Amino acid sequence: MNEAITKIASVDILLRVNGVQNDVSIKPWRTLLEVLRETLALIGTKRSCGEGQCGACTVLVDGKPINSCLYLAVEAHDREILTIEGPVDGDPALEQIQQSFVEKGAIQCGFCTPGMVIATKSLLGETPKPSEDEIREALVGHLCRCTGYVQIVEAVQDAAGQLGSKGGD
Amino acid sequence: MNEELQSEYHVIGRPTPKKDAWLKAQGRAEYADDIVMPGMLHGKLLRSPHPHARIVSIDTNRAEALPGVRAVVTGADFPGHKYGNLPNTRDYLPLAIDTVRYLGEEVAAVAAIDEDTAEDALDLIEVEYEPLPAVFDPEEAMDSDAPQLHESAERNISAQTAFEFGDFDAGIAKAEYVREDVFETQPVKHGMLEPHASVGLWDSSGKVTLWSCKMSPYVVWRQLAMGLGIDLGNVRIVQTFVGGGFSGGKQEAMPIDFCAVMLSKKTGRPVKLVHTMDEVMTIGHMRHPMKIWLRTGTDKNGRILAQHCKLTANGGAYSSIGGFSIFLAGAMLNIPYRVPSVKYEAYRIYTNNGFCGALRGHTNTQICFARDSQLELIAADLGIDSIEIRHRNAIQPGDETPNGFRIGTFAFDECIDKVVELSDWRAKHGTLPKYRGIGFGCGSHISGARLMGHSASAAEIRVQEDGTVQLTTGSTDVGQGADTVLSMIAAEVLGVEVDDVRFARVDTDSTPVDPGTFGSRVTFFTGNAVKQAAEDARQQIAEMAAERLNAAPTDLMFRGREIINRRNADQRIALKDAVRWGAFQKGRVVAGRGSYAAGDETIDVKTGRGNLSPAYNPSACAVEVEVDPATGQVTIVGFWGADDSGFPINPLAVKGQVIGATVMSFGHALYEGLIRIDGKVMNPSFRDYKMPLTTDIPKLADFQHQNVITVEPEGPYGAKEAGQGAGTGVIAAIANAIYDAIGLRFTRLPMTSEATMQELQRLENQGQAPVE
Amino acid sequence: MTYLRRLPKFDFVSPSSVAELCALINGASNGDVMLFAGGTDAILQLRRREATPRCVVGLKGVPELDFIEERHDGSLAIGAMTTLRSLVSSSAVRRDHVVLAETAAQIGGPELRNAATVGGNIAGALPCADLPPPLMTFGAEVKLASSKGVREVALEDFFAGYEQTAARKDEVLTEIVVPRPAPASASVYLKYHDRQSMDMTVVGVAAFVELDPDRNAFRDLKIAYANGAPTVFRAKRTEAVLRGEAFAEEGLEAVAEEAVAEAEPRTNSWRADPAFRLVLIKNLTKRAIRFAWEKAQARGKAQS
Repeated sequence: MNEAITKIASVDILLRVNGVQNDVSIKPWRTLLEVLRETLALIGTKRSCGEGQCGACTVLVDGKPINSCLYLAVEAHDREILTIEGPVDGDPALEQIQQSFVEKGAIQCGFCTPGMVIATKSLLGETPKPSEDEIREALVGHLCRCTGYVQIVEAVQDAAGQLGSKGGD
Repeated sequence: MNEELQSEYHVIGRPTPKKDAWLKAQGRAEYADDIVMPGMLHGKLLRSPHPHARIVSIDTNRAEALPGVRAVVTGADFPGHKYGNLPNTRDYLPLAIDTVRYLGEEVAAVAAIDEDTAEDALDLIEVEYEPLPAVFDPEEAMDSDAPQLHESAERNISAQTAFEFGDFDAGIAKAEYVREDVFETQPVKHGMLEPHASVGLWDSSGKVTLWSCKMSPYVVWRQLAMGLGIDLGNVRIVQTFVGGGFSGGKQEAMPIDFCAVMLSKKTGRPVKLVHTMDEVMTIGHMRHPMKIWLRTGTDKNGRILAQHCKLTANGGAYSSIGGFSIFLAGAMLNIPYRVPSVKYEAYRIYTNNGFCGALRGHTNTQICFARDSQLELIAADLGIDSIEIRHRNAIQPGDETPNGFRIGTFAFDECIDKVVELSDWRAKHGTLPKYRGIGFGCGSHISGARLMGHSASAAEIRVQEDGTVQLTTGSTDVGQGADTVLSMIAAEVLGVEVDDVRFARVDTDSTPVDPGTFGSRVTFFTGNAVKQAAEDARQQIAEMAAERLNAAPTDLMFRGREIINRRNADQRIALKDAVRWGAFQKGRVVAGRGSYAAGDETIDVKTGRGNLSPAYNPSACAVEVEVDPATGQVTIVGFWGADDSGFPINPLAVKGQVIGATVMSFGHALYEGLIRIDGKVMNPSFRDYKMPLTTDIPKLADFQHQNVITVEPEGPYGAKEAGQGAGTGVIAAIANAIYDAIGLRFTRLPMTSEATMQELQRLENQGQAPVE
Repeated sequence: MTYLRRLPKFDFVSPSSVAELCALINGASNGDVMLFAGGTDAILQLRRREATPRCVVGLKGVPELDFIEERHDGSLAIGAMTTLRSLVSSSAVRRDHVVLAETAAQIGGPELRNAATVGGNIAGALPCADLPPPLMTFGAEVKLASSKGVREVALEDFFAGYEQTAARKDEVLTEIVVPRPAPASASVYLKYHDRQSMDMTVVGVAAFVELDPDRNAFRDLKIAYANGAPTVFRAKRTEAVLRGEAFAEEGLEAVAEEAVAEAEPRTNSWRADPAFRLVLIKNLTKRAIRFAWEKAQARGKAQS
């Protein structure tokens, strides 16, 4: 172990998560996933493969879905982050997506669910009426071992339909 | 038929969202890795770098001296009691003591103030190993000069089974056609998204508590007590939400659990350990790779007369559930086709690889791949239509198989016909364009098994004064929807809504003891127990309501949260009011109890005779594939399946189960497989262990499944299993479809593009163009 | 057996300009400093302890590196920190270099593409990287900046060996310049992998075809491979087989045979048998050239 690096100072960063400002002091080698879960106690985002292959750790950073296990917390300073817990004062699109997932049987063990829902939020924000192929492509970075994906795709279609008829978000 | 029955029930049969789905959708479900406790420490496990070695010494001093480290444990910290799944195959230890038998086996563990420190401490543990010769291939392991893994196991035979049902010699002698084939399957991992995670606490009173994602908490409870050498009464298992199970270790006590509690004992603090995913992929728990030799004799019309199966399972370093695994494979030769005589010999062999156990479908999956692939070859040789040969051999309701399975409902013919219809089989078979093919595959499964040990379930129901129902069982919801199905049963009986039922996760301090969740037993066994408990509770409430209403208890109906006199609808009382009155005025709290043991029958483990399950399911499917002749890539472009799962209590959940099982089989067929070189797993990562993604399944319009509905009298509201059978016929269907597409017959799994291209090249070199 | 660990300890600095960045890495000894682009590969290297730098230099805060520009001569300049997602959705890229967008769209999934960068895909010098092959067939050049100045290196000369580039220790890849292709041309990149998405490339073939419409021949042909050798490479001998020749099936067969001879896929990889890779190279070379040819013809018809 490199002697010179044993006393590296913590870095003060501002993490805006779900609309809430958090001043945190963290070591530079902490990932965004670790800080969300362990410093901010937002345990909804899951720790799974650690390699960006399963999507369970997906959050939105400045509106874009990224694998938080592959993102340094320091680089998330001053960016808008959205996790599955959602904004305190609610997010109608997020809630509709959650409702569709619940109603269509898209949730079994639930471990892939936060990532799937967050990715869906991003998809529907950009493509309010996605085709089946667009839905699959948007979720291709998300492994689910329980459902076989069919009910997840149906849930996204349902959410898109519901949001569309409500005038969208 | 479905609609008629549906109207009879007010809850059963309705597509019902999973009770915990909202919690999970909001990210508020607490899994084991989410648990935080005051003073909690973090642990990490040290693993053997050798596939086979003697542990000469372990020096933990430097690790213990690292600032932030609070304790280190090794095998010597445990009493040395072995534990396991079957009484005569207890060969697990909490941590290795003298010998490590596979690369990755746990040797020590550290608890520290954070995971980073715990990891750094692992680097400082000095283990002196004396590497021993290792063996990885089961056939080599059976040689007399192979290194021996376990003292008691000669020729490294972990388990062996031999059955004969009917008169095999007579059967094969009558056969007008005989063929034999060899099939090989690969090591397959469960691939659940949640790695194993545990929090252990050994408190000052000597009570051990483990919070973990366990599928069978009571199995863990017993194994933990055994391995720790303490009384059961001092062990408590608290089941957290399970992020996927499939029997990948969460059904038993693992070193991670033992270390969590022992580190807690040493530190006086709660200790959390979580596997990284590459640890999950490296350790034991996987489907048995098998070599299956199958010799089948039929008459000239393709009716099976005799079947001889010899099977070698590469069991890996420890027994796990392996003894039962090979027993089950032999037993499942008896369904879904009528096989008048069966001869079966199986060996499970120890090798210096990660050990194998159960995985969705258990060993039935490998057997169905072999059998239904071969059936297609038999049909082709005899010039018999693929569908016809299956009908000719189909087990019928009311059959008793040679090994003693008593078949109740079994709508196999209907499943086959439904798939023919859904897939447009007649139009497609033999007419698809070049490189496109369609294949048929069938399978089956059981609805729970009468096992030698603990196989019965119990349920307890309390009804509260607000009309809510507290339902406790020892069975677990692992995502499959048991929480909802069991609540629906209780709600139906008591005339309340599903939301009125509170389903508790298992806590061995307060829930009834139970085998757990595996073998597709929960809906059937626990469901029946819940139904009985609810009926018991209903009877108690009926008696109280009868007093209040001055009516006869037998005249009372429970509907819409009310209790109504059938003879006089004006006489009614709210359920909650009856309960309240009973409790307040009479001290009669409602406490319903139920149990289910599937009768008194026993299975003769030696002969394999006996009715293993109270109900059996048939499964059929067709798969259409497109093969790219330039790359060998196989794309599944269509899937149509039909299963007889009895009456679907929750159609929404049944759909999720059958599709989930199907897609797992896609992966098993085409992409998945642990690649091991000299005992080292080369692909312990989701990057290289490839499971199906959203783009690997057919378009939704071409991915269809239907239930053929029967009403199984033994099952709760007629239900049978729905989580495993659906996947069992899929692999053969894919193999048969590839054959139809390019004339290539795969007898080894996975059916990779590389293997496809090798074969196509070989055919090209021999001047044989692939069959259209 | 290495298990993935938490990240090692490191200092993190985030320069805000190229000049600052160059000053930071100037004089740094080997392994002391790690450039951190998208992080999707770097984090894994760190977790596996394949790298334990004293200092990680984050590049996300250097706006000069994140751009896509059409230059006056029609060439495309892409900043090293352009994410794959930006590449996919860029109308500038889609005008004359659509294969780059199509290729980027096949790398990983949306989450990975939101972080992974063009620079990272090139500078990582992995033989399976997908952007370098089509970039090579366009004759792209990388720009390397240091405190001493800026120099250009042709991409086809940039990969010195497995995971090694021609960049000096004190240089950083800042942009890639992709010339505008000739009018009667088209480019294709075919990437083979087992699943339909997400997988690492087993073999990738990029083919650039420029038509001589009068002679129905290949005025120019450029071919480059991913995972056909220890580095991404341009198969010049293979190209020569058909350059100047008329289009014919026998010609495609001959090109494919030469490609198999010119390639040298890894022999010791458990991921795929080298014989399989060669079969893919053979078959996908033909297919890529054929597709590019057909596209070039269609483009020619559309323009005429």
